[in-house]
Amino acid sequence: MWSGPLNKVGDYRYEIPKSYRGINGNLKMKVPALIYASDEMLPAIRKDNAPEQTANVATLPGIVGKSLAMPDIHWGYGFPIGGVAATDAEEGVISPGGVGFDINCGVRLVRTNMSIGDINKETIKQLVDELFRNVPSGVGSQAKVRLNKMQLNEVLEMGARWAVENGYGWEEDLEYLEENGCMEIADSNYVSEKAKDRGKAQVGSLGAGNHFLEIQRVAEIFDEEAAKVYGIEKDQIVVMIHTGSRGCGHQICSDYLRVLEQAVRKYNISLPDRQLACAPLKSNEGERYFKAMACAANFAWANRQMIVHWVRESFERVLRQNAEDMEMHIVYDVCHNIAKIEEHEVDGKKMEVCVHRKGATRSFGPGRKEVPAKYRNVGQPVLIPGDMGTESYLLKGTNQAEEAFGSTCHGAGRVMSRAEAKRRWRGREIAHMLEQKGIYAHPASWIVMAEESPDAYKDVSQVVSATHGAGLSLKVAKMIPLGVVKG
Amino acid sequence: MYKIIEHTADVGIEAYGATIEEAFENAAKGMFAIITNDGHIESKQKRKIEIDFDADEEILLVDWLTELLYLHDVEGLVFGEFEVRINKKLVGYAYGEKYDRQKHGYGIEIKAVTYHMLEIKRNKKGVTIKVLFDI
Repeated sequence: MWSGPLNKVGDYRYEIPKSYRGINGNLKMKVPALIYASDEMLPAIRKDNAPEQTANVATLPGIVGKSLAMPDIHWGYGFPIGGVAATDAEEGVISPGGVGFDINCGVRLVRTNMSIGDINKETIKQLVDELFRNVPSGVGSQAKVRLNKMQLNEVLEMGARWAVENGYGWEEDLEYLEENGCMEIADSNYVSEKAKDRGKAQVGSLGAGNHFLEIQRVAEIFDEEAAKVYGIEKDQIVVMIHTGSRGCGHQICSDYLRVLEQAVRKYNISLPDRQLACAPLKSNEGERYFKAMACAANFAWANRQMIVHWVRESFERVLRQNAEDMEMHIVYDVCHNIAKIEEHEVDGKKMEVCVHRKGATRSFGPGRKEVPAKYRNVGQPVLIPGDMGTESYLLKGTNQAEEAFGSTCHGAGRVMSRAEAKRRWRGREIAHMLEQKGIYAHPASWIVMAEESPDAYKDVSQVVSATHGAGLSLKVAKMIPLGVVKG
Repeated sequence: MYKIIEHTADVGIEAYGATIEEAFENAAKGMFAIITNDGHIESKQKRKIEIDFDADEEILLVDWLTELLYLHDVEGLVFGEFEVRINKKLVGYAYGEKYDRQKHGYGIEIKAVTYHMLEIKRNKKGVTIKVLFDI
């Protein structure tokens, strides 16, 4: 139970003042911290140490504005999950803890021109089983494509473009990915051989845990105009992919935590928590991490791109139609574990900052040049995955989100441990319960079904409503799963 | 000996040993018990791991377990038996076989070894290690 100050400073806004000295009484916050949440969410937020972590982040050298946390805030390593921190691009630091181990974990939404009336239960089952065969998933899942060293380096530096140029997907796909699926700053010379080996072993795989591949139905439209621009309508069939950079990103994070731990001593940075290890962006260590992190981000975009290709292929096989004819276009792709150099307004002045989003999604509003031209009048699509068997959301970015460096929430987050979930339910019970709701699930094992039970997660609709209320992102559509592939 | 510990979103292990080496071995056993859901792993293959002991014991532990995760990811191996020696460097042997979901069971995918709440404690009985994983 965290009992520090959370002063209500506006609707859905709670501030930890700069004067807060931390649980040990010696914290020196450089800026205030702000947590976005509804009143009802506060008791749950106080349950773990995540608010203290948000305050800890406020001590980072060069942090500007406020140390922020989204409504899905929960305890993480160093930074809280749901944390957003912007540091001065000239004088601030970069921290791997502000990105997380699964660099560019993210979400992609693919649409179709089919609606629920065109597709029966048996077809959904066939599609899910075909997807399960076609996309490697689960613990120990290995790549079905073997890349050599040179190809892997290309993946790390080109991201989704590599995949498209090698036959995985369509040229137009790139336009609808955050950063067009590639951070140009990536330099594979700063990625260890070990990270490359892990990348080679797992490129084009979904992984396990909370990652999933779902066939969904658009259940509700909240914003007709934006939905129309995104090509979304009620009862439409869509596909959602949630995965990241696999072992490649995990290894890069592990490698650089070690490097930056040394850098903390070298640059004489004082930190309240070892896991906030960081280095000045303009230092050798900071630059190396940033270039390697960008490689992992690119790997993740290529990974999701390959999976999209296999999703289209699976639909083609089962439905005996071309993916083009089924209009399986990408709606958008977002990353929710990343650090990026962006231009934002701080104290009325435009400046370049390094925005760390750890379990937070970019939410750019209308007009920003980073938003695809087709969407620029309504804002960037924001994709919020629910957990297995509940709902996911499509939202739109806002200019209001500028106060949070163009950021919003990322998902649900667990409320119950896997062990507890396993004690409570049997996997088959959950599968049966989902079936009653009209959802067909193909998990890698029954245990996963119990561990990932919907009741083991926070209610994503509450999280989404809080960001909607705060104006960080606005609801466009709600999607309900019809079929789930679970690693 | 080891014990699996779980919080809301995390999983980790508490491992014991008469010596630091034995505690390192048991920490590795515990990690693969999480991955395989406590499956029985036969010693069909052997891998040698060497790590320079250039920082502190905590970093050495994270490096040791990360090295094993690397072999798991890249070669698809799981390990059940370990031998560890620590002097100026850590020299370890891991014994195991190819991972098979049917044979070993299906546990949790471990993304990384973390420094959070990492502890290596010594008392009269020996050494206790506490380590959490990102999953």
